[in-house]
Amino acid sequence: MDIELSKHEHKPLQVNPIKHSQPMGAALAFMGIKNCMPLMHASQGCASYTKVFYTRHFNEPIAMYNTSVSDITAVLDGGDYSILMAIENITKKDKNLKPELIGLHTTGLTETKGDDVRSVGMHIEIPYCYVNTPDFEGGMQSGWALTVKALIDQHTEETTELKANKLVILPNVNMQPAEVEKVKAFCEGFGFETYALPDLSTSLDGYLSEGQGKLGTGAISIEDIRSLADSATMVTVGASMEIASKALLKKNPGITHLHFDHLMGLKMNDNFVAELMKIRAIEPLPQVKRWRGRLQDAMLDSHFLIGSSHFVVTGEPDMCIGMCELLQSVGGTIDAVVATNYSPVLEKIEAEHLFVGDLEDALEHFQKADLVISNFHAERLLHMQERNTGLILRGFPNYEELGNQLKNDQLYEGSTYFLFEVANALRHVKHGG
Amino acid sequence: MGFTTGITTNDIIFGGDKRLEDSIDYIMEHYKPEAIFVYSTCVTAMVGDDIDMTCKLGGEKHGVPVVPVHAPGFVGGKNLGSRIAGEAVLEHLIGTKEPEKMTPYDINLIGDYNVTGDMWQYLPIFEKIGIRVLSSMSGDGRVGDIRGAHRAKLNVIVCAKSLVTLTRKMEERYGIPWISVSFYGKRDTTFAIREIVTALGDPELIARAEKIIAEEETKLEAKLLPYRKLFAGKKAVLNTGGNKAWSIASGLQDLGIEVVATSIRKSTEDDIAKVRDYLGPDGVLMKAPASEQSKIIDERGAHILLAGGRSLYTAIKKQISFIDVNQEKKVSYGGYNGLLNLAEDLKYAFGNPVFANVSQKAPWEA
Repeated sequence: MDIELSKHEHKPLQVNPIKHSQPMGAALAFMGIKNCMPLMHASQGCASYTKVFYTRHFNEPIAMYNTSVSDITAVLDGGDYSILMAIENITKKDKNLKPELIGLHTTGLTETKGDDVRSVGMHIEIPYCYVNTPDFEGGMQSGWALTVKALIDQHTEETTELKANKLVILPNVNMQPAEVEKVKAFCEGFGFETYALPDLSTSLDGYLSEGQGKLGTGAISIEDIRSLADSATMVTVGASMEIASKALLKKNPGITHLHFDHLMGLKMNDNFVAELMKIRAIEPLPQVKRWRGRLQDAMLDSHFLIGSSHFVVTGEPDMCIGMCELLQSVGGTIDAVVATNYSPVLEKIEAEHLFVGDLEDALEHFQKADLVISNFHAERLLHMQERNTGLILRGFPNYEELGNQLKNDQLYEGSTYFLFEVANALRHVKHGG
Repeated sequence: MGFTTGITTNDIIFGGDKRLEDSIDYIMEHYKPEAIFVYSTCVTAMVGDDIDMTCKLGGEKHGVPVVPVHAPGFVGGKNLGSRIAGEAVLEHLIGTKEPEKMTPYDINLIGDYNVTGDMWQYLPIFEKIGIRVLSSMSGDGRVGDIRGAHRAKLNVIVCAKSLVTLTRKMEERYGIPWISVSFYGKRDTTFAIREIVTALGDPELIARAEKIIAEEETKLEAKLLPYRKLFAGKKAVLNTGGNKAWSIASGLQDLGIEVVATSIRKSTEDDIAKVRDYLGPDGVLMKAPASEQSKIIDERGAHILLAGGRSLYTAIKKQISFIDVNQEKKVSYGGYNGLLNLAEDLKYAFGNPVFANVSQKAPWEA
């Protein structure tokens, strides 16, 4: 069946969906803010699903709360009561809990009843950020991006000043904690004082510490967010972050904005380095040059296996494009890309089949592929088919593997490891018997 | 398989009934299931889609039961959801078909969701005794079997209070008596089998059950012997909610481990009474385990903490072993053999030096 890339659905339902909801993306973004209390304005069921989802993906306790909308508050309350009561109850129950930001995000339920979550903020003494993230629009990727936009809109102070060596990274939702850390360190290597919004590099990164999991532990604080607009340079990774970059430019039009659809492969990283070199007028660190050479070598080593193979990639658009471009740079053939939601960035991907869909749609392409890159739900489907198709687990959720937070596919370094992982998986499928 | 109508903004404004109707058609065309269950969620319940009517029309059109389940997230917790689903099954499925075969030993298993294959631990024993499972709701269940569930001689509730309403109504409507049992640990498994055969009332069946219980227990005892030696004198603190407070405690005690404390958060009155019964007068019932468990480990000299991931740090600080009981288990602790799985997990936990090794101070810490 040929399905065209479109904003409109091609069938009335989803079978084995890969799409996740906007509030889930919002919750994750808030977990990347220091001492933030992610508060989902929802019934308990919605919130506990999200909590279990991330607990299993990261193997970490997850800091998440909800406003516990009931049948009665669903009808009678305009949001004020359940939100204020939730904050009071949570902070009263645990006196040591001192949130520095309430990250309120809505759901399908509370959007349908039309709660005025903005005005509730006037009654809250703790800094408060609200974001409208109904389930019935967008997905995880847009929920995350909308949250970053909301944080900037509501908390970043306008300025015309610029700190020449200050840089802010706006990573997309697909970037795991280790990837955020690597990109930050990469920029620091060029002498930048670097911030990431949100910053999962110290949150959900699998770090053993006491009393963890009650509030966000991200490396960016609400004070940092307030003073973000004096960064001379902004780096966005992923097309979904465009709305957030516009919000920051509104706070200070003088900011230099560098955008990258992803940071995978030689070409994209060369562009990234060239831009950073232009600003700082210095050479990259020796290990950066070394990693570039390793990536070149990995491309040559892996091109034989990858160049003779067919791939199917499913997931969020910002993840798909990076993987496709890297695989194609060493001759891989992308049979199909099945995306969770429509995004203009999908138009840039060159693949035989490219559409928004679910795993039912992906199935016929799985049956012809050598390797599938997908979340762990694809595993069961691949077990059921006759052809021996390899699988690399990427995207949310991955309940099958440990250490997801430390997976790194970005920059010269991550791309190198990614190519080897793909090539090894292919060797196993094609020559392993 | 998972199916969702994937409601969008337009459906909320104009109603999602058409989408549901089309989805039912699509599923029947592509998958031909024996029945479809349609669950309302917060949003569709809020906008008031007429799911009952769409299901009724869909069912008539395709000739299979299309069962509406009105369980939006905001009406209550998981227990209520199970109860609502149970009643929907009673209204729309049970009694709509006659079973192909009937025996005097037909039972319905209710409330075992066969997580980690719990059911498969005890079904072979049923088979040996001659107890026949007519239908299961819902672990490894089949729609066809459930439609004929009204012909069972006995309803057996497994560790799930939420479906009591279903069994009570089945008793009223079809005169099926019910009992409530658990298959965690040796004592409970034996007790459960006895309860079932006694309720079925056939002396021959009871005799056969006793013989098989004796066989199974002897086999198990022999296998447990080395573990019991290993676990002699070990003390455990259990921090898990609900019925696990006593079911896992019972399993631990069967292995010869002393359970010095257990959490009673989210436990019902019945659960608490049972816990007290199992732990005896010296057992501590923790209402706020997060703050209590550390002290109790010290006071009672516990060797292992069985709890959720959040408590890991407590175990590391106290340098005792730890088992994450809330993590998705990969093996079943149910039935006689499940006890061996639990014993095996405990053996490795006790023997693993990781908890002591990881708590070592960093070179830069004084």
